[in-house]
Amino acid sequence: MSGATSSADLDEAPARTIYVNQPQQSKFRDNQVSTAKYSVVTFLPRFLYEQIRKAANAFFLFVALLQQIPDVSPTGRYTTLVPLLFILTIAGIKEIIEDYKRHKADSAVNKKKTVGKTKQLEIGDIVKVTNGQHLPADMIIVSSSEPQAMCYIETANLDGETNLKIRQGLSQTASLQSREELMKVSGRIECEGPNRHLYDFVGTLRLDGQSPVSVGPDQILLRGAQLRNTQWVLGIVVYTGHDTKLMQNSTKAPLKRSNVEKVTNMQILVLFCILLVMALVSSVGALLWNRTHGEVVWYLEMLSVNFGYNLLTFIILYNNLIPISLLVTLEVVKFTQALFINWDIDMYYPETDTPAMARTSNLNEELGQVKYLFSDKTGTLTCNIMTFKKCSIAGVTYGQLPPSTSESCEFDDPRLLQNIENDHPTAVHIQEFLTLLAVCHTVVPERQGNKIIYQASSPDEGALVKGAKRLGYVFTARTPHSVIIDAVSTGWMWRLNIISVCVFILQATRAALTQHCNNLGDSLGKENDIALIIDGHTLKYALSFEVRQSFLHLALSCKAVICCRVSPLQKSEIVDMVKKHVNAITLAIGDGANDVGMIQTAHVGVGISGNEGMQATNCSDYAIAQFSYLEKLLLVHGAWSYNRVTKCILYCFYKNVVLYIIELWFAFVNGFSGQILFERWCIGLYNVIFTALPPFTLGIFERSCTQDSMLRFPQLYKITQNADGFNTRVFWGHCINALIHSIILFWFPLKVLEHDAVFTNGQGIDYLFVGNIVYTYVVVTVCLKAGLETTAWTRFSHLAVWGSMLLWLVFFGVYSAIWSVFPIAPDMLGQAGMVLRCGYFWFGLFLVPTACLVKDVAWRAAKHVYHKTLLEEVQELETKTRALGKAMLRDSNGKSVNERDHLLKRLGRKTPPSLFRAHSVQQSVSHGYAFSQEEHGVVSQSEVVRSYDTTKRRAEVQ
Amino acid sequence: MAVNYSAKEEADGHPSGGVGLSGGGAAGGGGGAVKTRKPDNTAFKQQRLPAWQPILTAGTVLPAFFIIGLIFIPIGIGIFVTSNNIREYEIDYTGTEPSSPCNKCLNVSWDSTPPCTCTIDFTLEHSFESNVFMYYGLSNFYQNHRRYVKSRDDSQLNGDNSSLLNPSKECEPYRTNEDKPIAPCGAIANSMFNDTLELYRLDNDTRIPIPLIKKGIAWWTDKNVKFRNPSGDTNNLTALFQGTTKPVNWPKPVYMLDSEPDNNGFINEDFIVWMRTAALPTFRKLYRLIERKNNFQPTLQAGKYSLDITYNYPVHSFDGRKRMILSTISWMGGKNPFLGIAYITVGSICFFLGVVLLIIHHKYGNRNTSADIPN
Repeated sequence: MSGATSSADLDEAPARTIYVNQPQQSKFRDNQVSTAKYSVVTFLPRFLYEQIRKAANAFFLFVALLQQIPDVSPTGRYTTLVPLLFILTIAGIKEIIEDYKRHKADSAVNKKKTVGKTKQLEIGDIVKVTNGQHLPADMIIVSSSEPQAMCYIETANLDGETNLKIRQGLSQTASLQSREELMKVSGRIECEGPNRHLYDFVGTLRLDGQSPVSVGPDQILLRGAQLRNTQWVLGIVVYTGHDTKLMQNSTKAPLKRSNVEKVTNMQILVLFCILLVMALVSSVGALLWNRTHGEVVWYLEMLSVNFGYNLLTFIILYNNLIPISLLVTLEVVKFTQALFINWDIDMYYPETDTPAMARTSNLNEELGQVKYLFSDKTGTLTCNIMTFKKCSIAGVTYGQLPPSTSESCEFDDPRLLQNIENDHPTAVHIQEFLTLLAVCHTVVPERQGNKIIYQASSPDEGALVKGAKRLGYVFTARTPHSVIIDAVSTGWMWRLNIISVCVFILQATRAALTQHCNNLGDSLGKENDIALIIDGHTLKYALSFEVRQSFLHLALSCKAVICCRVSPLQKSEIVDMVKKHVNAITLAIGDGANDVGMIQTAHVGVGISGNEGMQATNCSDYAIAQFSYLEKLLLVHGAWSYNRVTKCILYCFYKNVVLYIIELWFAFVNGFSGQILFERWCIGLYNVIFTALPPFTLGIFERSCTQDSMLRFPQLYKITQNADGFNTRVFWGHCINALIHSIILFWFPLKVLEHDAVFTNGQGIDYLFVGNIVYTYVVVTVCLKAGLETTAWTRFSHLAVWGSMLLWLVFFGVYSAIWSVFPIAPDMLGQAGMVLRCGYFWFGLFLVPTACLVKDVAWRAAKHVYHKTLLEEVQELETKTRALGKAMLRDSNGKSVNERDHLLKRLGRKTPPSLFRAHSVQQSVSHGYAFSQEEHGVVSQSEVVRSYDTTKRRAEVQ
Repeated sequence: MAVNYSAKEEADGHPSGGVGLSGGGAAGGGGGAVKTRKPDNTAFKQQRLPAWQPILTAGTVLPAFFIIGLIFIPIGIGIFVTSNNIREYEIDYTGTEPSSPCNKCLNVSWDSTPPCTCTIDFTLEHSFESNVFMYYGLSNFYQNHRRYVKSRDDSQLNGDNSSLLNPSKECEPYRTNEDKPIAPCGAIANSMFNDTLELYRLDNDTRIPIPLIKKGIAWWTDKNVKFRNPSGDTNNLTALFQGTTKPVNWPKPVYMLDSEPDNNGFINEDFIVWMRTAALPTFRKLYRLIERKNNFQPTLQAGKYSLDITYNYPVHSFDGRKRMILSTISWMGGKNPFLGIAYITVGSICFFLGVVLLIIHHKYGNRNTSADIPN
């Protein structure tokens, strides 16, 4: 969001006066809307500011500045700056791609046509909006096609509610329907300044020659709302563009950070401390060395041996311990993972043409760690599709029983009609019931040809009227004082007078799962195989400070907790309570505006994008079209992303520790002088070129096992849920492993080359020769280690592992010859030729990486045999299945088929029904009841009912 | 990204924006023809790329371990034997022991005149059959110190005339002397090793000088590309180095290092060899070559020899040592038992791990195949 919006709600904007049919006296903001983050001018400063605010980038900038101090840097002046710029460039490209899309979307909105182009609308304009259109700006109703200047709007875009709301123009203006009449009007509107309160509006309409009338929220149509059931409406524009209530409400969602990110930041901090300790130790070492050697080494004129300068030197020397490329690598990796979510065809809902959408890529790995799931009950589980299915009349229940799996869930119980025909004792009651169903509602029937379309303000009303219609009680027309129903079965047509309007208060029946309170005491403090049901009223007390803890304990001990009739605030309060008191990742899923609170509070918010409005989707981190897609989102994408991200992070730490700890070992033999073993640019480019690819393939293409296995064995989710792959222990394990590798990688070549005579012509070597050999071994080892971490070798993995090695060799060759052409790296001249000619190098090339990795492989294999994890078992099963599948193709050996079947059955049998399994979700759908009704509406229900006469034709505008 | 309101959603009624490239340009006017947003069903997008999934089990790893062990151990033995067959003879001529002939020279300074000389006699028990390489070795000499390593000007050494007269600041404090630029500048050049070693074979009290070849001891690229004398109208090095002064510690200027013009000035090979700074404080550098004369005689037959040393280079102050090393060379270089031992060790470890894994595999391998996936 641009800064203008956030500042707008800080200080109340001044009231405005709008002139109707006259030029405006003050200047207002135009109707152009911009959600983009940058413009061409602001991009660079804004982007740089955002980047430098990240601690790691600030640190590298600091190091880059330190390198400018003469005589301090052991690695030259630009070896940090260039990689940093490179990384910022990549991050910048990513930002540009994202912002470009926002710009495109903005311009699409701004060009949208209502009357003219939306962005050309100005304050004071009178606009006509026709049925189905979205309102282009906030406006005051003048008149409409409906009686008494009424109109219906759907505000799903604003508050997520799908039921239609009624707005009504002032009676003073209701007659202004033609162009001529409108042209004649003059006057002004005084109203409050732009604000974010959706349900408030204070203004006065002063038409010339008439007394002023006050204008309230009932007369306001808001941008983003959709005109429904109304042929057209005329309105005067009062707020445009960013002043509209829609835009005033679009605030920044709270920035969510994933758990892994927090842990990673902590680890970076720890590494930074280690770096400081290393620098301190080295500086003290330098101090001691200088004390013993400083006086006597005549070949070395000691200039300034300053402890502070030495410290800076070592900070520069070891700065790469913190992986410079980690942040940008993670950003790209997560971005790609988010794309995979968007691309998943299994999460694409063809009915509404909606693919899944990751609205943020920050939280991908969080999806793999969810422990507590908060689901909005009504809309989310029922998809807000209401059908009449069951009823109970005079004690007799009609309607099919649960085991139906048929697609049509309509009421189809022939007994009901049979009972009427056969004059069952309750026949009268049944007829009365059906009559009431057909009559008592506020539905407006619209005839389109022979069909009747029911316009209901809530889906349940519509469902009941349709249900009655199916049973032969057809509601055909409505006049202000009567309704007409056509009772097909009896052949009568009734005209019923409306005396008063009372709407059904429908009670949902529920399975009695609740345990009573005398049992509740026993339930505290142990596992309970029950579900806890609590309603909003009780919850108010349960969430009070004194009993909050007990309630939490009880709730956590239950298999499931159902909270019914809770307010949006309570929803988010519950989520917040679990989030704060239980150290676990929470996920909230919902589809309506009342879920926004909990979606934003939970670690991960998932919105259902579909029938209901956009509010939940717009606040969510991930949007899916169907509740059942959550299964794949969590079990496959979540678990994979977690696995990938953590592997990527651990590997980045590993490879940096391996290379840069070597500098510490080297410090021990060079008198703690800060001399580097490698060529300075080789160090700088290590992260951005030579070992840049393996983290990407690990982060993007790694998969521990196939999607099918992830779904078939939901227990696999526990691995990521419990953070088995990424915790302090694993992190230190990797660091210590890296330490051991670095020791081997440094001391082996050093001892091998110790005698300096390594060529057949007897010539000697220098420190950089040793450095290049060590560096080559490091690249090879680190790439092979990436291969070892890879469980699924795609062609990209091969490219990364072997390509990186090749890349270094090619670079090495070119770089060793470049000095004669281009004055860079004089010390590298001729190195490649000499290294490749050295027999010791080739023998070491096989020895050193083997020596490093043999431990890792043996450890892994031994663990695999000794304590096979679930994951490994599934992997083996996959391999076996594949092998057997191949064998079966060769010859259909009956035995092997049986064996495989047996194996699959045995493993399948053990699979417990998961909470997330698709079929169980569908089952719960068939039991859902949900009712909604707009209460305390602008226009009372009796008014609405009485204002319609569908037997007449509607007024058309000229 | 975290904006509540996405303009695109208002535009076409579909959630979009956020992360992603899908959806394309489907943002037409409301109700317009919207192309389907169904994702492509490709192996890449659906993450079903074919993949090789190796599983590291004891069963699959075992053969590899045994094979590595079986390959590495013989290689190690081969390297070790080769290295042991290399003849190497080393004399420490620092002269710290009072009995040493060079003890008198122990406290020489750079400008002692006349230079201190000493002679050490030694006996080779075995003959050196192939070409022999003569090294000098220094200990406790930190050629890898940062301030030392950077104290040079490669541009000057490459014959750049402007750098010759205006050396790089990195050379400080060995950049100028008495307002004249030093050539070659820097601490490395300044501390160049300048002992002279001469070898004689003692044959019945006659000293037969052994011819020492001083060319071919430096890297080809150094001699031909990296190091060049300054260029000018003349071939006279004295004139080309006009305006510069010798390094402080040197007894004579750089253009008087050798009598032969192609081994004088910056392209003097002793100088070039010294300029390649060693990785460790104990190092050796190639000094001279002794070529095998004919096929009938060993290069150095067993017997008595004498080493004449012109002792100029002071190392005593920093507890340094000086050595002279004679060595033959095998097909893979000089003597170094470490690589062979390392190969044998790693090979043995692999073999040992293989055995351990075999035991584990037999003991626990079957147990787990009957285990079920736990709930």
